[in-house]
Amino acid sequence: MTDEIIRTENLKKSFGDLEVLKGISTTIRQGEVVSIIGPSGGGKSTFLRCLNLLEQPTEGKVYFKGQDITDKKLNTSKFRQRMGMVFQNFNVFPNMTVLDNVTLAPILEKKVPKAQAREEALALLRRVGLEEKANEYPRKLSGGQKQRLAIVRALAMQPEVMLFDEPTSALDPEMVKEVLNVIMELTRSGMTCLIVTHEMGFAREVSDRVLFICDGVIKEEGSPDQIFTCPHDPSTIKFLSMVL
Amino acid sequence: MEKIIGLLDKYYMVYLQGLWGTLWISAVTVLCGTLLGLLIAALRMSRSKLLNSFAGAYIEVLRGTPILLQLYFFWIGLPKLLPFELSDTMCIVVALVINASAYISEIIRAGINAVDKGQWEAARSVGLSEIHMMTHVIMPQAVKNILPALCNEFITTVKGTSLASVFFVGELMTSYKSVQAATFLALQSLTIVGVIYFLLNFILSRLLRVLERRLTASD
Repeated sequence: MTDEIIRTENLKKSFGDLEVLKGISTTIRQGEVVSIIGPSGGGKSTFLRCLNLLEQPTEGKVYFKGQDITDKKLNTSKFRQRMGMVFQNFNVFPNMTVLDNVTLAPILEKKVPKAQAREEALALLRRVGLEEKANEYPRKLSGGQKQRLAIVRALAMQPEVMLFDEPTSALDPEMVKEVLNVIMELTRSGMTCLIVTHEMGFAREVSDRVLFICDGVIKEEGSPDQIFTCPHDPSTIKFLSMVL
Repeated sequence: MEKIIGLLDKYYMVYLQGLWGTLWISAVTVLCGTLLGLLIAALRMSRSKLLNSFAGAYIEVLRGTPILLQLYFFWIGLPKLLPFELSDTMCIVVALVINASAYISEIIRAGINAVDKGQWEAARSVGLSEIHMMTHVIMPQAVKNILPALCNEFITTVKGTSLASVFFVGELMTSYKSVQAATFLALQSLTIVGVIYFLLNFILSRLLRVLERRLTASD
């Protein structure tokens, strides 16, 4: 397939004696929006974190546009620049302004001229309604604003894929929507997105495909309609009956 | 009191020389100790097992033996090891620097480890190189954890230089000993030196507090 962007082959990850991922093989295509659902501790986040090597897989391969990125000889940070990631706890940099959060990596790693990085950052901040906060420090932002900043920070590197690791789980209920709206807009713009989420309604609405991960394996995958209306796997049925 | 004034009147140059000695030895120890401490902390946190255990052993040995023993060790040992002449004072300074570096490296390491794990991950996820991650994201945050303990360590270092008087290297305690030997006014001379130490550390701690406040201004 020419339009594949990420492919995993028998991906396994153990923490000590605990095998969290027990062999996951899947392909993410360009422009696809894939939601990953499943019970806590089932390996969803670990899977996502293996894709940009925040966790080093114990076994198996991760291909990014056909290149095996688990190869130790490769410069990991170069690949990470092409995959944006958004965390549950935002992890914005508290020691710099909102604007500097966004321009830091482009200036340091892509050698974008400062003025240009600033322009692009302001444009992105405008897109998510944070332009007037550009010179504030993150401590003055609400949770929803911090998460929007984190998204913009990742987008500033012009990634080819965005990985979302439970982006709304740490938010107060009234702020969930503003973040989901930003992600939704992003999926509509054609960005390839992998979203680990507990927001089932959202997953159903934005996804092209849903993966149900449980006990370290993909138990079931399919279109959102199929997964949410007529799931086949007993564990999927059980999980959905509990959350829906 | 009169005797103290008498001593000051007659021997103030001795005390000033001692003060100068304490000041420069402290400054060199703090500065070089911090730089060396940074290096040791980097080794201690490196992925290489060899470097890691070397730094670990270095820290354990220096923290596990008395500083006075270390001073003797370097005072006797260094001249024998080195192919060139080294004054007693320099041997002692080297010992003080090495001792301070062990404590400071642990302070730095603890400060770096206290930075939220999510910050490392976020820095890596945007594709920052390990160096840039440290210089722009981790260290600026670690400094705030490190500073208060480091300030304490600086003050401990200043006081620790008094041990160097065992070897008559010409800092404040040496001044006390000289004057006491010449006049037999031990208590008075001690009082003078004590007041100087106190003022020195008092001023130092105030300065450090101002610095600390400046650096943590963004919170």
